[in-house]
Amino acid sequence: MLTLWIGALDQGLAYAGLALGVYLTLRVLNFADITVDGSFALGGGSAALLLSEQVAVPVALLVAVGLGALAGMVTGLIHTRLGVNDLFAGILTTTGLYSITLRLMGRSNIPLTDVQFAASSDIHWLVALLLVVIGLIALLALLLGTDLGLALRAIGNNPVMARSNGISTRRGLTVGIAAGNALVALAGALVASYQGFADVTMGLGSLILGLGAVIVGESVLRPRSVGWALVAVVVGSVLFRAMIALALQLGLDPVDLKLATALLLLAALGLGRLRIPGLSAPGGES
Amino acid sequence: MSLEIVGLSWGHALPGGGWRQLFNDFNLSCSTGQFVVVIGSNGSGKSTLLNLIAGRLRAGGGSVRLGDRELLRLPEHRRARTIGRVMQNPLDGTAPGLTIAENLRLAECRRRSLLAPRTLFGLHPSRGDCHRYADLLEELGLPLADRLHTPVGDLSGGQRQTISLVMASLGEPRLLLLDEHTAALDPRAEAGVMELTARLVNRLGTTTLMVTHSLEQALHYGDRLVMLQAGAVLGDWSASQRQSFTPASLRELYASATVPVDESSLP
Repeated sequence: MLTLWIGALDQGLAYAGLALGVYLTLRVLNFADITVDGSFALGGGSAALLLSEQVAVPVALLVAVGLGALAGMVTGLIHTRLGVNDLFAGILTTTGLYSITLRLMGRSNIPLTDVQFAASSDIHWLVALLLVVIGLIALLALLLGTDLGLALRAIGNNPVMARSNGISTRRGLTVGIAAGNALVALAGALVASYQGFADVTMGLGSLILGLGAVIVGESVLRPRSVGWALVAVVVGSVLFRAMIALALQLGLDPVDLKLATALLLLAALGLGRLRIPGLSAPGGES
Repeated sequence: MSLEIVGLSWGHALPGGGWRQLFNDFNLSCSTGQFVVVIGSNGSGKSTLLNLIAGRLRAGGGSVRLGDRELLRLPEHRRARTIGRVMQNPLDGTAPGLTIAENLRLAECRRRSLLAPRTLFGLHPSRGDCHRYADLLEELGLPLADRLHTPVGDLSGGQRQTISLVMASLGEPRLLLLDEHTAALDPRAEAGVMELTARLVNRLGTTTLMVTHSLEQALHYGDRLVMLQAGAVLGDWSASQRQSFTPASLRELYASATVPVDESSLP
């Protein structure tokens, strides 16, 4: 029983990068980015390929981060330079990324059974993942506290105001989406390492998972500052995985997992009456 | 810095088909530090002129020079590095989710490129920044110094426009563009914002273009009054020439210059 919950905690932390990436694009930049579905698998696939070739873990993670940033940059450029709607820009990149990830991996699934990780138990993973996540929160909090971070927040808040204060919204969006997808790809690499394999379809529904973590975290902690919002998002990621673990514990068929995840998110959206930019239109009475 | 507009042209497609050429070989010259008030009826091109200068709209041709710099070659955000702007809608000029201090910091750094190395170092607004902003707000007589950490979205329209005006004055602007910036305010807030406008323009000595529908403002503020009609200068009076107007005579002139415009055809 305890193993199950520690496993859920590990998974929540491994997926924290995904939640932070979604927070950055959706909450900070007000950009509904579907690229995360592709960049999660890209990060997982590329890291698994390198790890299976006995490349050092930090190098594999860095390559995944770089590829994720590149994927995000492509979406950003499609959106800002070609004027393609944010959703379509993300769909285009994700569609292309499926083939790219498959080509990169050479096959649809790469097992990591032969790879020796320093973390050999769930507790070891817990410590390692905790350190990574704390580092990510600190890094993001620092980034969002700089003038660059302030500019990114202004772009998401009011792009008209941002431009009239000398900020290039095109460049800011591209940089922000790239950073968000770098985090998501890192999460993909960590999840692949933790679960011991990467699959080309592992990114399917990532946006929903990330979104779920953001919504649950914000509903529970109601953060009033950027730093707390980042902590809330990570807590949300862990709670979201815990809810899924609980559902499985209660006898949910794994086949129905994605449906349960979607319904869980729908319930959180409906009950919390949260307005998610680009995703929940003010259709009903408030 | 002087502003020289030469041969400016701009037109737009009409919703029902066809084309409306608003500006055709438009010329206007403002000397350094001049405070020019621009009036005219709806559709005369006042706001469009400011949007063309600021880069929100792309000119069809001509030249807009600020000092020795050609503005028309630059994208909107690059022009904004030397132009302070206050828009008609208080919601447009500020980021509601950011605090007063954060909004002021963004304006103060308007000259800096987004990815300049300095944007990546140091946490801002720092304590030092906040002290500076508090001093500035107090110096301007604005009771907002103790609310620096309040999100701008929590302020009233008048307060937001006040912050917008202070923001426009930060970062050493070479040109101020004020686009009917009191139109959405109640009379009390309007008086406060106009009083602050006069003080800031006087303090900065920046070349200023202020668009307004208020004939009262047109008679009391600025060094020069320009009246537009259908994209052309109908009248251009210095402050001393303007003294010959009474509110009634200016209202009469304004009414006679008003050409009925199909509002649905406005951009």
